[in-house]
Amino acid sequence: MTRYAALCLVAGTLACHGKADAPLSPQGFIGTELTVPVSKPSATFTDSRGLPFRFDSATHDKVVLVFFGYTNCPDICPVHLANLAAVLDKMPDSVQTHVAVVFITTDPARDTPAVLDKWVHGFDPGFIGLTASDSVIAAAQRDAGEVATVKGAPDATGAYPVGHAAQVIAYTRDGVGRVAYAPGTRQRDWAHDLPLLVAFPQPQAPSH
Amino acid sequence: MQWWCAATGFPWTWTWQWYPGVHLLLILIAIGWWQLGRVQRWSRHPFGWFAVAWLTLLATLDWPIGKLGAGYLASVHTGQFLLLTLLVGPAIIRSIPPDGWLTIAPEGSTRRRFLRTMARPLPGLLTYTALVITTHFPAVVDTAMTSQLGSLSIDLAWLTAGLVLWWPIAAPRGFVALGVWGTIGYIFGATIGPTIPAMMMVFSDWPIYQLYELAPRVWVHFTANQDLKLAGLGMKMFGDLPLWGTAIAVFFRGNTMRGELVDG
Repeated sequence: MTRYAALCLVAGTLACHGKADAPLSPQGFIGTELTVPVSKPSATFTDSRGLPFRFDSATHDKVVLVFFGYTNCPDICPVHLANLAAVLDKMPDSVQTHVAVVFITTDPARDTPAVLDKWVHGFDPGFIGLTASDSVIAAAQRDAGEVATVKGAPDATGAYPVGHAAQVIAYTRDGVGRVAYAPGTRQRDWAHDLPLLVAFPQPQAPSH
Repeated sequence: MQWWCAATGFPWTWTWQWYPGVHLLLILIAIGWWQLGRVQRWSRHPFGWFAVAWLTLLATLDWPIGKLGAGYLASVHTGQFLLLTLLVGPAIIRSIPPDGWLTIAPEGSTRRRFLRTMARPLPGLLTYTALVITTHFPAVVDTAMTSQLGSLSIDLAWLTAGLVLWWPIAAPRGFVALGVWGTIGYIFGATIGPTIPAMMMVFSDWPIYQLYELAPRVWVHFTANQDLKLAGLGMKMFGDLPLWGTAIAVFFRGNTMRGELVDG
């Protein structure tokens, strides 16, 4: 950020604006704290290599950023994933190693493991792509407090849109989903919040 | 329907879209140029220069470049800036012959004084640099490009910047008194202004423009960060090349861009 601040000074009155100037949540996040925290999905999915992925145990002690979307998504999905990839790349190892980005498809018919693998890893080789049956995905969305998927009508080519929740849910390392990130969350917002999410909840001081 | 290319937030589509405002402006420019030559009884019509200016304007402002630059890719936005300032600006100046400029701004007129002032290095440099930096402020870009009027204003500001930049170099002799070294110094000065936004785009930790950071992607794995770095590098590299080329040409051959002014 130092370089950016210096460049802004060079340019005079350049607007170094962003959500970082907006009021923070009670715990200091730029993201929106959920009024009712949610628990992790407990189901078993199939990852992009075709292997079983038990969500809660596979993401134990990680900050998990969960996004429900689909690879044919023309707007929100690639922007969220690209921004997360760019920010994580600049985070110190102490943050990177504790964060898992999980993309759960809402369009399992088209998003086969192979399709997911290519798409998700195009953003970051460390991202996790998951698929499952419609019922498992619907249950996971309910667990995460997300709205259900709505499949649109196909066009002449057979392509169809999929309506889905557009926010990323952040689970802290204790396995509780606490913060939501709406579309429009900028990279600098993620850069502000990711270290806080990794450090939350604050470790208890050892009692003597 | 949109009259002028502006950011909409909708997913990009390669389906052609009509922007009547762009075509209307271009028709008016063509009619205006032709009428000006007819009324002023120009000794010659520099069709070549006008065609370069007009066709580049069409390509820059119309679909797809106009729409991509307005709401999707910062690199295309920068490409528009370079085309308007480095190609359209000088081509418009040369599309009016020296006797035409004399008629537009006769000796002793306010217009003549104004154009002579703008042909001096300092007013030219200050105006050009101010226009370039202002129109690249993140707050200005993020605000202006989301409305048709704002987007039109940015395009017109860049067109003006191109005219201001090249007037001391390409104006007829009766308006300009810059020598070879003065012209070269002026050109060097003109490369400084765009360096500031270019550096910000390349070296800032996070994307400086919210508009392009959050825009629907044109190619899914071509990220906003890559786009912005490309924009910054393009602005510096492709922006400086024509200017340095002009400086070298001026050094070896004198300023052949300048038209002779036919007095009386």
